[in-house]
Amino acid sequence: MITITDLHKRFRKTEAVSGLSLEVPEGQVTAFLGPNGAGKSTTIKCLLNLHRPDSGTIEVMGGDSRKLGPAQFTQIGYVSENMELPLWMTVKQFFNYCRPLYPNWDLGFEKQLLTQFDLPTGTKLKDLSRGMRMKAALLSSLAYRPKLVVLDEPFSGLDPLVRDEFIRGLLELTEQEGWTVFVSSHDIEEVQRLADRVAIINRGKLALDETSDSLQARFRAIEVVLPDDGRAPVNLPTDWLHAEQAGRTLRFTASRFANEESLAAALRGAIPTATHHEVRPMSLREIFVALARAYRLEGK
Amino acid sequence: MLPFSIQLQDGSPVSDQILGAVRKALLTGQMRAGDAFPSVRTLSQELRISPTTAHKVVLLLKDAGWLNSRPGIGMVVTVPDQPDLAERLAQITPECRALLKEAADLNLTLNQVIQHLKSL
Repeated sequence: MITITDLHKRFRKTEAVSGLSLEVPEGQVTAFLGPNGAGKSTTIKCLLNLHRPDSGTIEVMGGDSRKLGPAQFTQIGYVSENMELPLWMTVKQFFNYCRPLYPNWDLGFEKQLLTQFDLPTGTKLKDLSRGMRMKAALLSSLAYRPKLVVLDEPFSGLDPLVRDEFIRGLLELTEQEGWTVFVSSHDIEEVQRLADRVAIINRGKLALDETSDSLQARFRAIEVVLPDDGRAPVNLPTDWLHAEQAGRTLRFTASRFANEESLAAALRGAIPTATHHEVRPMSLREIFVALARAYRLEGK
Repeated sequence: MLPFSIQLQDGSPVSDQILGAVRKALLTGQMRAGDAFPSVRTLSQELRISPTTAHKVVLLLKDAGWLNSRPGIGMVVTVPDQPDLAERLAQITPECRALLKEAADLNLTLNQVIQHLKSL
């Protein structure tokens, strides 16, 4: 659905994106994660032809992103946290204004989402709360049933109820052929149940691109109990991240867990004195935090 | 509304959790053979999960013999042919042995363990 190849984008002295390559497959929800300033918004703006890349190419729905125009935009829904909306319009005027721009606008779907989102049609956009305004923006981007939905930090600052309504609204589109979502966030918490794939950007480059299932399969939190006065060896396997010892307990994150047997064997090899150990699956959020810490250490 | 009880937790994969919840509902009689099973769309919307995950769960349940697609109705719950009791019990024997050993180490009585199993 989207293929980004060696994307570079610089703003004066700041290199926002430096050689990012990423594939967003059709029919899935891909979460695009990274700390603030990692280059997420710049990447999204490049792929929607709102910024011109310095170099590299982006293919969106089979065409060059630099040639995206009105015809393609009727197939793409885009909501960004700092989107400029015509604030002087009422909700109703806003939808009246959007409708003719999209020949595929679905009036029935608009009505359904309007009821579901509980939007006051007579209120001006500038008088709406942030959450309500985001819902209005989402409605205006879903009502024409786009094939590709691109969301840039859509959840930041939304309360849990509005976030829940927002996600539900998004999932209303799922009957669509080739339904694809690309959603950026600095916080995995917001998307961890929704994401089929996780792509992490760090310092303008792709740091990770993997399915949620495979991430949850290969990461484990391990606790090892050492004998009295036992010290863990200094050189532990490199795929054991963030080893920390407190008293007799050594904790680390195994990043290439395959099964209990091979882990036990590796433990016997690395820490022969260990008395016993526990293995616990990790949430995507915990995995994200462990990875983010590892990237920060790499950068130093 | 979903016909089985589930509270998604972070930690294990969402699809595993749904499979567990569905199995439990079938064991406890909350869902029975012949009941309609929610569509991929309903599962995805009710649980706020990706339709891909919901689709995967339905496929896994179908493969395991718990669901059947009936044209015009959708998914219907079925109970797969069971091997005889002794064979099924044999399958959980290692886990039971481990559980009893752990319980003994923790100084728990068999009755306490049974009570606890029922409360799960």
